[in-house]
Amino acid sequence: MLSELLQGIESGGFLIIRGKLIHILCFDVSEEELKDGLKPSDTQRLHIHNAYSDPLGWTGHPNFTVQQFSLEDLTNLVKQTSQPKPAVLVIDSLSWILRHKTPPAVCQTLQQLRKGGAVRAVIGLLHTDMHQRGTVGSVCHLATSLISVAPGVKGKEAVARVTKRSKSGKVMQDEEIFCIAEDFTVTILSKPSHAEHKTNSTEEEQTDPTANLTFNLRLSDSELEAKQKLTLPFVFSKEKKTALLHPGPGSGRILYEPDANDDYDQEDPDDDLDV
Amino acid sequence: MLHNIDVISSNMAAPVNSVCKTSADRLQVNCTSFQKKTRSKLISIPGTRPSVQNGQLLVSTGVTSLDYLLGGGLAVGTVLLIEEDRFDSYSRMILKYFLAEGVVCRHELFVATAQDNPDEILQELPAPILDDVAVPKPVEQPRLTGEPQDILDAMKIAWRYQNLPKVQSALASSSRFGHYYDVSKTMEVEIRQAAKCHRFYLPDHITPSSAAHRVESYSALLKSLQEVIHREGFDLATPMSKSRNILRVGLHSLGSALWGDDLCCHDKPRHSHALTTFLYGLRALLRSSLSVAVVTLPSHLIQDRALMGNITRLCDNAIALESFKGSERETNPLYKDYHGLLYVRQVPHLNCLARQLPDHKDLAFKLKRKQFTIERLHLPPDLSETVSRVSRGEPVGVASACGSSASGTKNLDF
Repeated sequence: MLSELLQGIESGGFLIIRGKLIHILCFDVSEEELKDGLKPSDTQRLHIHNAYSDPLGWTGHPNFTVQQFSLEDLTNLVKQTSQPKPAVLVIDSLSWILRHKTPPAVCQTLQQLRKGGAVRAVIGLLHTDMHQRGTVGSVCHLATSLISVAPGVKGKEAVARVTKRSKSGKVMQDEEIFCIAEDFTVTILSKPSHAEHKTNSTEEEQTDPTANLTFNLRLSDSELEAKQKLTLPFVFSKEKKTALLHPGPGSGRILYEPDANDDYDQEDPDDDLDV
Repeated sequence: MLHNIDVISSNMAAPVNSVCKTSADRLQVNCTSFQKKTRSKLISIPGTRPSVQNGQLLVSTGVTSLDYLLGGGLAVGTVLLIEEDRFDSYSRMILKYFLAEGVVCRHELFVATAQDNPDEILQELPAPILDDVAVPKPVEQPRLTGEPQDILDAMKIAWRYQNLPKVQSALASSSRFGHYYDVSKTMEVEIRQAAKCHRFYLPDHITPSSAAHRVESYSALLKSLQEVIHREGFDLATPMSKSRNILRVGLHSLGSALWGDDLCCHDKPRHSHALTTFLYGLRALLRSSLSVAVVTLPSHLIQDRALMGNITRLCDNAIALESFKGSERETNPLYKDYHGLLYVRQVPHLNCLARQLPDHKDLAFKLKRKQFTIERLHLPPDLSETVSRVSRGEPVGVASACGSSASGTKNLDF
């Protein structure tokens, strides 16, 4: 699923960008650092907006400040290239923006970007260890696709947990191991080895409790036959079972003959005394 | 036998049931045959019926199992809080059932959202199954292994229990109130447009950049709702000249960050009273009008449990959904028939001292094509290793029925 997402959105963070029009909003790293390592043909398609040098507007003429992270300003920014097709906006670090703007405001801006037609897709990077769980949860709740990246078992690999929500409410989840090569191609390796752990536990030998005892608990063949031939008590034949389960009309009769003690005279309660 | 007695007694008593006929069923709840002998003080509104327990006017939530859990239906003038599941799939489904039931019963609707346009929710309403005779088939009973159905020899030792009825795990009352919907189809446009619907889409009412956004969004919603109730005549102040109707209010994902509230974002929200004040005002508004509300809330994002407790107490009915999608419970064979768990957090006591709590606490739900079923979750008995019905792939954290952890007893064999 990771590869589908990568092709669908046509970019993946800092990775190779195969596609049309990408705008990158850089808060965390400088433009040079981002361009380093990318081929010049690709960098031509990128429009990098430098918000790294002066994000809070301390100098008189900032390039892009964090206060400009709102619908109108971002739409203007994206429309500057005057291309007919809507672009993809990559936000280098939502974490940086979340430190200076309130989470509800950021969520609202992201939602408006999604509803407005200027941007086709928004890809944001969020450092989960920098925020409270509620903040991370709220931002992730808005996203249609979520990729959680964690370091893998071996050196160069990483584990990606992908969750994708479709319009109809279906949720698909997947977990894959990938590694990034020097030229920024992403190769997806096998699925992670959760399955391995499970098979290890079931491959353990079933211990036989009748072994290693000083007395004999096993049965020989003749003893097994005799055991099976044994009739248990209270095992009835089929007719008796049906008779007991479906009681007929005459099966519960009580026969009683009144004896001497039943002659109880109401008027004289001491009738039975031998006085 | 009891059935016959019921019919006789209700014919002799004052005809209560003729007042509020929706389906022509007799009013029967399976635990009591009590029929109130009052004359018709209750207003006859289509789609409602009086409750047997306390005489409140009830409407159906659209999900018959949920109606049973809430004591027959949702009382008019109350709020049902649904704590959303992680991806908001099933809570949204229940909201759609609620609105679809309103369309079918010809009630009016009021939908308020901050995330998607209300029209999107209205377009996704499920299509009703319009043959009234359809009775849901009884749920497949879980069978014990090694026991084929009609052979007496099969149960060697416990054959006296052969004819006892199997455990009924589905929740249903004997009378039908509410309709069934087919989830795979959407409601036809003509049916949907016949119902009057009021919409409230937050970005239309509030300019997002205003600083007082947070407080304004809830008060704008409350004002809009109050205005609709007054204008359309749902409040009981207007004289009873025209026929009455019910207003169904559906509020989607209240408390999320898109309403301008930081309840879900911060561990200690600074303005936690905004939502609670709104809920208080909402309940006051509903009690004085013929309306009923369903509110969904992303409670999994709220970190402050005390606040969640406050919110639960401010709503009358409260249920919580937990879906298995994406959690480790998805692979648990115990839960393989179901889509999630349902918790009933609160049931109100309206005009009476006692609440009508459901007798079963372990409930699980399953969304089928034609029905949203809520059933009692049965834990199978924990049998020994040699006669295991459940595969041994259970995670260690699951508590099995007889108290012994499954994977720990490998070397212990008695």
